[in-house]
Amino acid sequence: MSDHKERLEQSLSALMDGEATDIEMHRLLKEVSEDSELRAKWKRYHMVSAAIKGDAATATIDYSAAIAAAIDEEPTHRQSGLAVFAGSAGRFAIAASVALVAVFGVQQLNSPLDSVGETSEFAGVEQVDEENTGPAIQFPSGFQPIINARTVSAGGNNKSSQYVTPVIEVRQQVNRKYSEAELRAYMNDVMAKHSNHAALNSNQGMLPFARLNETEAAAQKE
Amino acid sequence: MVLSRLFASIKVAALVAAFLLHGPLFAAPMESAHDLMSKMAKASRELNYQGLFTYEFRGNLTSVKVAHGVDDGQTYERIHHMDGVQRNVLRRTDNVDCLRTGDMLLRGSAYKINDQSYARLEDFYEFHIKGQGRIANRQVVMVHVLPKDKHRYGYVVAIDKQSGLLLQSVLMSHSGKPLERFQFVDITIGMPFAELGFDLDASDFSSAVLDQSNCIDDNRQITTSASNWSAQWLPPGFVIASHQIADSNGQESIMFTDGLAVFSVFIDSDPGRSLPAIDANLGATVAVLTKADINNQEYAICVVGEIPRATANQIASAISLSPTSSSSISPLP
Repeated sequence: MSDHKERLEQSLSALMDGEATDIEMHRLLKEVSEDSELRAKWKRYHMVSAAIKGDAATATIDYSAAIAAAIDEEPTHRQSGLAVFAGSAGRFAIAASVALVAVFGVQQLNSPLDSVGETSEFAGVEQVDEENTGPAIQFPSGFQPIINARTVSAGGNNKSSQYVTPVIEVRQQVNRKYSEAELRAYMNDVMAKHSNHAALNSNQGMLPFARLNETEAAAQKE
Repeated sequence: MVLSRLFASIKVAALVAAFLLHGPLFAAPMESAHDLMSKMAKASRELNYQGLFTYEFRGNLTSVKVAHGVDDGQTYERIHHMDGVQRNVLRRTDNVDCLRTGDMLLRGSAYKINDQSYARLEDFYEFHIKGQGRIANRQVVMVHVLPKDKHRYGYVVAIDKQSGLLLQSVLMSHSGKPLERFQFVDITIGMPFAELGFDLDASDFSSAVLDQSNCIDDNRQITTSASNWSAQWLPPGFVIASHQIADSNGQESIMFTDGLAVFSVFIDSDPGRSLPAIDANLGATVAVLTKADINNQEYAICVVGEIPRATANQIASAISLSPTSSSSISPLP
């Protein structure tokens, strides 16, 4: 009884408890394909667990050998070199198209849809922080700000906003024009009013005030 | 099956026996979760305290300095954001005794929806005491608050053993992921009001936002002005907490709570606003804006709250203009 075997059995019981790590899982799957003793143990564990849970004990028929043989007979699984290449190329193509959709989707989300010409106005709203005229937020070298990565350029002043603003998603295209600035102002306004009321009714003391972002706080001061 | 039932009854018998034999020993040191919740509702209103807490969501961390004081029946609050742009919020309420819907639910009382039905917090959440811990250098009791349905989120809260103040609150999604975390890092409780420095802000307080939410009356309900709007559906357990009639911009707002979660409904009738239908979220707060075309008048209906998006959507589509103008906004039975 080697150390290795003991570890495997520990991994196996961890797996049965749903607590096995990825590494343990990989090792188990690799070993179980070669070690019939381990395989038998796994099966026994399952039967015990089924019995404890009150499920009817299933008959111990091992289909694995028959299934493996059947797979070997399948012509499609005996591939030529070309087929292997075509297969992986196809997979890459699918991955690429998924990536394309993802990038497209994100841009859709962030673009100020209908509001052509309103972009600078929107950026302007985000820039109204006269009090914060010091150096742009410093990040240790090698770190990139991941918070709200949208960089805005207004009047040659290039700086990213530190604050997290609501993620707004327009559900459908409307024929009428609307401005994103107005939309943001509306969202900030209702979220601020909500926080204000929630502070009195959620019993979380002043926690709801923490949810206010800077433009909302400005509205509060008025 | 018979066997498991037998086991269950043995378990119950053993528990009963243990309780009978050692009942007082078990019960004495541990307050029930409901007592704790009720104590918490009272503490956050009635105590003097000041401290520093952090608020975290989606990888963002901000810190906020707060002070809360009660003087002569009035409550004073100061909220100072420690990061970024200078931000201060001052707030006062006129009446420390004003019991609000959320307070009452959390204190274990039921809100009277109508003569037949009441809303109770424990019908919609399970409370489990999960032992003790230490937060902001104070001994706390950890409580897990689990929702009984999909219309509200759960919480992991830490309540100060001595004062009952909420020192940590983590909002948990249905899959068990934290959505936001609020936690005190330092707090002083129970100092005299004079030490909180509210007198320095006296002039600012005179112009501070005064709370206008509704207090619970003797009939265990709140009295609200009549609204033309009604909710054809509300998530079970949510009852009205306040109602603001249309302001100068034509915006009316109604707030609902189940004692822990809160959502607001905003109805905008201003035809000058041309807002599209949107979904928005900021941290754990979601907002769903829908458009309604009623009698050739366009309305924007917006539901905002710390509730699951699906629930917010469902509420938004259930808000409608009552056929008779005199009906109230209380949910239909």
